[in-house]
Amino acid sequence: MSHTHNPGDGGAGERHAAPMVEEITDFEVLEIAVRELAIEHGLFTAEDHRRFTEWAESVGPAAGSRLVAKAWIDPAFKARVMEDAVKACKEIGIDWAEPTGFGTPSDYMNLRVLEDTPTLHHVIVCTLCSCYPRPLLGMSPEWYRTTNYRRRLVRWPREVLAEFGLVLPPEVEIRVEDSNQKCRFMVLPVRPEGTENWTEKRLAEIVTRDCMIGVALPRPGRTADVHPVQKAGRPVQR
Amino acid sequence: MSARRDLRQQQELIGAIQPALHVSQNWNYAVDGALYKAYMHPPHDVGGQFDAPGVYEEKEEEQWELNTYVTCEVLGWRGVWNSEERRRRADNDLGYSLYLGIPYYGRWILAAARMLVDKNHISLAELIEKVAEVKSRHAKK
Amino acid sequence: MPKSKPPEKAQKSSGKARFKPGDRVRVKDLPNLFYSRTQIYVRGVVGTIAACTYQDIIPEDEAFNRDGRLEQYYIVRFRQKDLWPEYPFENDTLQTESPERWLEPANN
Repeated sequence: MSHTHNPGDGGAGERHAAPMVEEITDFEVLEIAVRELAIEHGLFTAEDHRRFTEWAESVGPAAGSRLVAKAWIDPAFKARVMEDAVKACKEIGIDWAEPTGFGTPSDYMNLRVLEDTPTLHHVIVCTLCSCYPRPLLGMSPEWYRTTNYRRRLVRWPREVLAEFGLVLPPEVEIRVEDSNQKCRFMVLPVRPEGTENWTEKRLAEIVTRDCMIGVALPRPGRTADVHPVQKAGRPVQR
Repeated sequence: MSARRDLRQQQELIGAIQPALHVSQNWNYAVDGALYKAYMHPPHDVGGQFDAPGVYEEKEEEQWELNTYVTCEVLGWRGVWNSEERRRRADNDLGYSLYLGIPYYGRWILAAARMLVDKNHISLAELIEKVAEVKSRHAKK
Repeated sequence: MPKSKPPEKAQKSSGKARFKPGDRVRVKDLPNLFYSRTQIYVRGVVGTIAACTYQDIIPEDEAFNRDGRLEQYYIVRFRQKDLWPEYPFENDTLQTESPERWLEPANN
């Protein structure tokens, strides 16, 4: 295996040069073959592929962060989020019907936002695959897709959360959400102390992806999720 | 073409990646209810299984992974399949060795390829020729 | 020629939702054949309906590209102690989704 991850590096500071990959891998070959055959046979067009790629490259956790920050500041918006999250997403510029007019084939249009309280903490998993609210949070992180996380979170949530650095007292109810069908979920964490009078933009900076999955809590000064990073041989060209 | 020695090594690797079994089996005609149920268990249903604490990693996305994701979604957009069918094919139909052994999007693209053949959108011979052609096209560079 | 419309979904629904939030339900343990999205860890366990969500095709039909009848889906809440008898924390819970056919009333 040519894994180039570097545990302990934290992923944020050090950037290793991507390994030079001379030879095209078998999965790359298969991907090209399937895509070209599908286009040659008129199953979809190169333009369809380009349009969907453009959408996929436009989504990311920043939208979710904006939603949380706005909900913290604006109780009426929060009420609309809890009532109909897909509809409320439009107010922050996220249309779940994109890019096809009826949403993506895999994300559906049933978003539910799970509101934490001082005595209730939500954390999300999909034990069967890795269902994830892409229009709002982008692509799921690698660890979320692993059998390890999927196997253990539903049964040993406190142990798994502790491995992420999140230790919660027994009085706090931990509620695991196993996203196994067509609802997609996002956690609305409790607004931390020490953020009074913060602007929406500043609040959004501490709402990282991990906070919206429920494996971390937002706090002043914490603006990034820190994990070891595996480098790609031929990363996405943007 | 692979040399004979390479093929022999390949054969040993094939043996080495067979699932590790903890009960003896080989044409087992005494499959009782519990064992039958265990064989029929969908591989993707892993919640509650034991595993050791692991390192929670990020991964930089490969270009082919993004392309695979988009190809599979566009096939859904155009009604060639749906995502539930993709999950069935990629997470269950491949069997345990492939399910646990190859990359996440490797399973997606294999599922898409198999679906196109199963539904007669392309023939297997055509796919094999295309794969060989793409391989040689990129080898020259 | 690529189609520009979404895959057609069957419009027929099975009608009114059988359960409402607060109802106690047990997850059935139907035989596994080829595909299921009902996890083994919730089967046979009693939980509470937390929400009636949407109506959609069941996974057993959709996974084989079959236009089935639409069925009511629910979010069901379980006590972790009911899922895993050795679970050490009293208050912790777990929620997951289920279509109606996998649930039966539990009155106890």
